[in-house]
Amino acid sequence: MNWTSRFIAPIFRTLPFAALVAAFVLPAAADAPIKAVYLQQAMVFTHVSGSGSSTAVGVNDPGLRALLRAAGAAITWRPGDRYVLVTTAAPVVVSFAVGDRRYDVGPVVLQSSIAPFVQGSEVYLPFNELLRSLDLAVRPDGATWVLQPQLASLDVRSWGNRADIVVRAGIPLHPRIVQDGPGTVTYEFDGVGTALTGTRNVNAGGIRSIAVSQSGSARDPRTTVSIQLLPGASHDVPRSDDGRDLVVSFGPAGWTSQVPFAQSSPPPAQSNGQQSQAPSGNAQQAGASGTATVTGVTVAPSSDGYVVTIAVSGNAAFEWHRLRDPDNRFWVDVKNAQLQTAPIDQTEPDPVGALRVRQVDPATVRIALSLRGPKALAVSPAATGLTVDVGANDVADAPRAGSGSVGTVIASSEQTAPVTPAPGNESATSWSDAGNGWKFGPRSSYVPTNPRLIVIDPGHGGSDRGSSRHGVDEAGLALDMSRRLRDILVARGWQVRMTHDADVDVYQPNDSAHDELQARVDVANHAGARMFVSIHANAYINSGPYGTTYYISKPGDLALAQAIERDLSSDGTKDDGIVRAHLYVTLHSLMPAVLIETAFISNPNDFSLLNSPAWRQRVAQSIADGIDQYAAQYPVPNQPAQ
Amino acid sequence: MRGNRAVALIVLLAIVAAGAWFYLSHKPPELGSSLTVYYTKLDGTTLGTLSVSLRPREPGESTAEHLRNAALYAAVQAIAGPPSDVQAIRFPPGTRVQDVSVSGATATVDLSKDVERQAGGTFGENGMFKSLVYTVTAVPGITAVKVTVGGATLPTLPGGHLELDEPLHRSDF
Repeated sequence: MNWTSRFIAPIFRTLPFAALVAAFVLPAAADAPIKAVYLQQAMVFTHVSGSGSSTAVGVNDPGLRALLRAAGAAITWRPGDRYVLVTTAAPVVVSFAVGDRRYDVGPVVLQSSIAPFVQGSEVYLPFNELLRSLDLAVRPDGATWVLQPQLASLDVRSWGNRADIVVRAGIPLHPRIVQDGPGTVTYEFDGVGTALTGTRNVNAGGIRSIAVSQSGSARDPRTTVSIQLLPGASHDVPRSDDGRDLVVSFGPAGWTSQVPFAQSSPPPAQSNGQQSQAPSGNAQQAGASGTATVTGVTVAPSSDGYVVTIAVSGNAAFEWHRLRDPDNRFWVDVKNAQLQTAPIDQTEPDPVGALRVRQVDPATVRIALSLRGPKALAVSPAATGLTVDVGANDVADAPRAGSGSVGTVIASSEQTAPVTPAPGNESATSWSDAGNGWKFGPRSSYVPTNPRLIVIDPGHGGSDRGSSRHGVDEAGLALDMSRRLRDILVARGWQVRMTHDADVDVYQPNDSAHDELQARVDVANHAGARMFVSIHANAYINSGPYGTTYYISKPGDLALAQAIERDLSSDGTKDDGIVRAHLYVTLHSLMPAVLIETAFISNPNDFSLLNSPAWRQRVAQSIADGIDQYAAQYPVPNQPAQ
Repeated sequence: MRGNRAVALIVLLAIVAAGAWFYLSHKPPELGSSLTVYYTKLDGTTLGTLSVSLRPREPGESTAEHLRNAALYAAVQAIAGPPSDVQAIRFPPGTRVQDVSVSGATATVDLSKDVERQAGGTFGENGMFKSLVYTVTAVPGITAVKVTVGGATLPTLPGGHLELDEPLHRSDF
């Protein structure tokens, strides 16, 4: 089901009923104030024109503003504007235009009963259409309009031999299970009405049919969804990742839910804009829908050691990492994939040592080995999965990370913004998008006046603490890692200047971000430094994202970022690659610069890494290694005598 | 005599060519009937897309007003983001588009101060402005987006990392 049909279906299902109500049932007092109630909250609409299905409400109406606030919606309009845009809590943008009966609800174009018009300096909108776009229905209760939240859509999404029922309403749903077996499971939704009453046959994913009914009163409605199951079918508990869409998974006899009910890291979006909901099922189907399955992992002797075979159905990307000797762990993450087998945790003969296979998050299967030494490894993708050849011999300086894809073609209609270019191809690397790209060269024309000087910029500090978690803030972590990096570099003969060596503002306390960032850039630019390295910890509003990211802004930054990434990519968290961004410090520093977001303070696993002094030391060590490699690879031209 | 005619003909052709060039170079771009709305996925870099319809120019709506209205619609769509069950980097809750104006090929998008309540990481900041810039520049004729907050130009968001006092282009991401 695509985004468009998701909106079309519920809208058109409710149109006839809504029109009937509007035309014959609604109070018909022209231009009279409308008394209404929404979720027990009384409100009065006074900027009203017309009646019945022709009722219009002014955009400045206090009642309308109160309703939009209560429904989590926002309006974009200013006097003189032709367009009135309403963003619902879904969110979806509803677009009206003065003089045009056409209105848009997300991707769907509809016709309203009346065109928006201007009265005085205010635009009046068709009231019933506006309410419908908020998933509200008008139910008269005497002279009062009850604005009743609706269970607006109920969809069945098939995934091979299983199915998800997805319901959506104008308010967050809190289902009660009133019957669970045999052969039937029934949910009740209090406070929600519906126009979707009736029975529909499904006969898929263990579901025989679905019956929807409504009871209760206008002010206290109740919607009942009763699902008849096929023999032996089972289901998991209702779940919601966003508080609005409620999903229940069903499967035939023998099916076991593999969806973690409390997801700390939701699965990534599909390319068609729909969320990945699918645990494994039919492998072919899953592959076709964009989710691959790991169907088995085996270890067998080979002529030169052992071969680990990872069977994957469908298309998937993977990335692998190995740690430095003496910690010889290796793992490969198969992305957007579901583990179809039980988790594996077993001892294997040398040199493999141990094998563990887990679904580490809802969209990633991890296959991990504990190798007996720094063994030679070869990771080879194929149409049916990938193989890891583990050699008997030890190797030095083996690659520590890689990535690729398995399956046939990774279908994608997406635009992919900057990705990490292949190492060793710096001079030919270019990132382009729609003709607006620019070419990266391996270096800029900047010539440092002090070629042995590196400026390290600990992110934030002083009055700006950056992001924080459990009392640990980014400023302190960044300063600690920067000091460690400084000590390593100084021991190797570099001159190092910190933008701040104590936990203080560089410009002045409580200064503007601009003054603060410019002061940091000034330290490097005025000193004629060779490189500028800014150390940070990333954050997001939820705990999902994790990994290390290298932000750059100028062509000359790329080679430095690549050199550091090569060494830092096996730091124990994910390598999120090099990202081009319009960041102040990297943009305005004259020399090659990189801002390293070492890990996410907002992610529990990354946070535990950040809290480890040993990990911070390892990060500093890897950054220093990368700096040395960059300096060796790109010596300063016309280097002045020191 | 024949020479004068030839000169006059050449001058006439030059005037026609100049007129045609002027017309074509100043002809407003066709906005088309649909708009691509971009959102940044939770990997921080990859863009997903949705498609919505663009209204045709209404009677009485000037070309400039139509372009501005299309840019406004694009900005509001970008701030709203995809439906909530699609995983995407989102603007802080409550962020609204207060106004949009268009000057040349640059759209200035004024956001409410709610945008300053971002989580503090480069990840979210870069992802949300990337989706805004890509979506608004999907409107034909617009190639850059200037961001203001509460009606004022900000060099960066408080505690932020991105430079915002210059128009942003797709090539900045």
